[in-house]
Amino acid sequence: MKRFALPLLAGLLAGTALAGPAFAAKDLVVGLPDNITTLDPADINDTLSQSASRTMMQGLFGFDKDMKLIPLLAESFTVNDAATEYTYRLRKNVTFHDGTPFNAQAVKTNFDRLANPANRLKRQSLLAMLAETVVVDDTTITLKLSQPFGALNNNLAHPGAMIHSPKALETFGKEIGRHPVGTGPYKFVSWEADTLKVEKNDKYWKPGLPKIDHVTLKSVPENGSRIAMLQTNEAQFIYPLPPEMVKMVEANQALELIDSPSIIARYVAMNTMKKPFNDPRVRQALNYAIDKNAYAKVVYRGYAGPLDSAIPSKLGFHVTQPNQYTYDLAKAKALLAEAGYPNGFEAEMFGRNSTNFIRGMQFVQQQLSQIGVKLTVTPLESGVETARVWGVEKPEDATVQMQYGGWSASTGDADWGLRPLLWGKGFPPKFFNVAYYKNDTVDAAIETGIATADTAKRAEAYRVAQEQIWKDAPWIFLGVENLLAGKSKKLTGFYYVADGGLQMEEADLQ
Amino acid sequence: MLKYLVGRLAGILPVLLVISVFVFGFVHLLPGDPARLVAGPDATQQDVELVRQDLGLDQPLWVQYGRFLGNAVQGEFGRSMKSKRPVSQEIGERFMPTLYLTVVAMVWATLAGLLIGVASATKRGRWQDHVGMVVAVSGIAFPSFWLGLLMIDLFSVKLGWLPTSGYGTWQHYVMPSLTLGLGVAAVMARFTRSAFIEIAREDYVRTARAKGVPARLVVWKHTLRNALIPIITMVGLQFGFLLGGSIVVETVFSWPGLGRLLVDSVNYRDYTVIQAEILLFSLEFIIINLLVDVLYALANPEIRYS
Repeated sequence: MKRFALPLLAGLLAGTALAGPAFAAKDLVVGLPDNITTLDPADINDTLSQSASRTMMQGLFGFDKDMKLIPLLAESFTVNDAATEYTYRLRKNVTFHDGTPFNAQAVKTNFDRLANPANRLKRQSLLAMLAETVVVDDTTITLKLSQPFGALNNNLAHPGAMIHSPKALETFGKEIGRHPVGTGPYKFVSWEADTLKVEKNDKYWKPGLPKIDHVTLKSVPENGSRIAMLQTNEAQFIYPLPPEMVKMVEANQALELIDSPSIIARYVAMNTMKKPFNDPRVRQALNYAIDKNAYAKVVYRGYAGPLDSAIPSKLGFHVTQPNQYTYDLAKAKALLAEAGYPNGFEAEMFGRNSTNFIRGMQFVQQQLSQIGVKLTVTPLESGVETARVWGVEKPEDATVQMQYGGWSASTGDADWGLRPLLWGKGFPPKFFNVAYYKNDTVDAAIETGIATADTAKRAEAYRVAQEQIWKDAPWIFLGVENLLAGKSKKLTGFYYVADGGLQMEEADLQ
Repeated sequence: MLKYLVGRLAGILPVLLVISVFVFGFVHLLPGDPARLVAGPDATQQDVELVRQDLGLDQPLWVQYGRFLGNAVQGEFGRSMKSKRPVSQEIGERFMPTLYLTVVAMVWATLAGLLIGVASATKRGRWQDHVGMVVAVSGIAFPSFWLGLLMIDLFSVKLGWLPTSGYGTWQHYVMPSLTLGLGVAAVMARFTRSAFIEIAREDYVRTARAKGVPARLVVWKHTLRNALIPIITMVGLQFGFLLGGSIVVETVFSWPGLGRLLVDSVNYRDYTVIQAEILLFSLEFIIINLLVDVLYALANPEIRYS
């Protein structure tokens, strides 16, 4: 035992010394539900790591707190009619944390890196259509695309397209994910196991920002422990807040609840190639058979809104559908009878094995039993789901009948809300069209929408697509969950954005 | 003794080799496509294929095993599929927190368990025995996540004495080590009590008493010394289990240890990390077993290895 005791003692003493109080500086602690995976945004596929890298890094575009596209490192842009050539004028007098100037060459280095499949970056698809980047002058860059792509600015606003210091890319190579150097409001300090520390960037290009000296992002996986941190002021912001813990935040004078709509659509995809779901009347009947208000109450304790089109209302080009599938059992039964299933039928529903998903699936099961549809709920562990649902090579081989799922379109645009899920050319394993839904009108609209940068034309295309999808009902449209978080009342200017990301550029502690 | 130790140490290698085959096979039998999981929920098929090549998962299994073994021999376990960091770093930074917490928990739990066990055994049937065993049974019965959250609520939220969670100062050790050690203390207490009662019936104990050896000496020297063998076995086993990292305690108290790393890596199908962790756990057990055998000889000089 003696062997262990010495390093232990040393560790404890060192820890005590480090934990001395700091009164003057403004220190913010944020409680996260999970560990950060990497800080190379081009290689990140989870929202949490994206939020973490957004404290330090920025792209040409970004989103404001309402998910509206805003220019960041770009000042303005022009695009040709064919949506194949974009020219960006870049912000001047911006430097990376390591002193390297931000310029067109830096953008080129980053975009060429991301677009090159040989680099095997997880976000390569954001710039897969990039054919060539041309440095026009120090503050102007042109992107030439191999095919028309109308949502490029949205793709560039995605955290995956944020800009590293080219010097850091060269210095750190493969280790860049541990040494992020960007142009953002905070600079990297350290990242150990489950704690990331960043500090104020004194030379930030937005005057007067940031106001916080140090930010610590801490992974605290247990909900109860996370809320305890908020109650003891060890953390000033925690997320997500489970609906059942909302009352604990509301009961505390020093705390404040954040409750805002997300861009996460919840739905049940029905395999439209399989009986009985090949009949639109059956799919509509199932939509009528579910009380969406009850869904929000049972599954999200009321913290959810309606999914009133194929995409959530916070996504660009969303159109609320006029004919909602309002809860109506008589109508549902009539439609089922008309389709030849007066006594209902039996079916199996897949979905993830998390508590929330299982609760959602059981709710759907109970609701559909009212019209004689007997569901078997089969929860799948994520790896199994991958093999059984997303990795299936041919539509004929698909065993999925119904899939309880969710989707968050991280570009904030209708394209990424529709194309991966409901495009006739997007069956697994290419994309995630697990409804195996194929409609020529919708396909044409989705293709038109992405082939132009003309906002009016895109709006029209997505209006057509949403209308047709709504009529065909390849999904049971369940709802859009709210984002819930708890924060100290002393914390201001800290935003929990609809895509689940955190924005702390303007954060301040009173 | 030395010869014995060298022989035992040499025997570790073939054992590890066999374990490596099982670990590799087991990990690759897990359902699910790691390339797709690593690539993320909204990755396209093209992205998935890139990731697959990147991870070398497009190679035949035996090639992958050969690569794994060749690297493992050099103490190199490749890079985590998830974080792309070297696995040795990934595990290294979490090993010490788990080790420290395990040692702190084991020390107090073993001492407390011994004391309660001896007290219960010597005062058998009296109130000390009843109190001791109620504590022991509760220690086993309380779920640690529940106990952990209750302690956080009391000591951090209500009283403000201790930090809720995290790792760093000595205050951070109090609640996790109490939670982690309670079950061990309970097991130790029950184990000590029964071992003690059994030994107390032996002839030599009766003889010692009969010839007038003071009670204190009978208890602590004649009885406890002989009861130590099963107790050491138990301590070794518990130590080995705790070194694997406690998932529940690490989760409740956000302790950056190996247990959470294992769960995370299984969820992500982070093959390289899972393999290295399981090999590490196996190695830990082998070494602990060896130490336990050595301790046997120290506790009872009649045991000799040759």
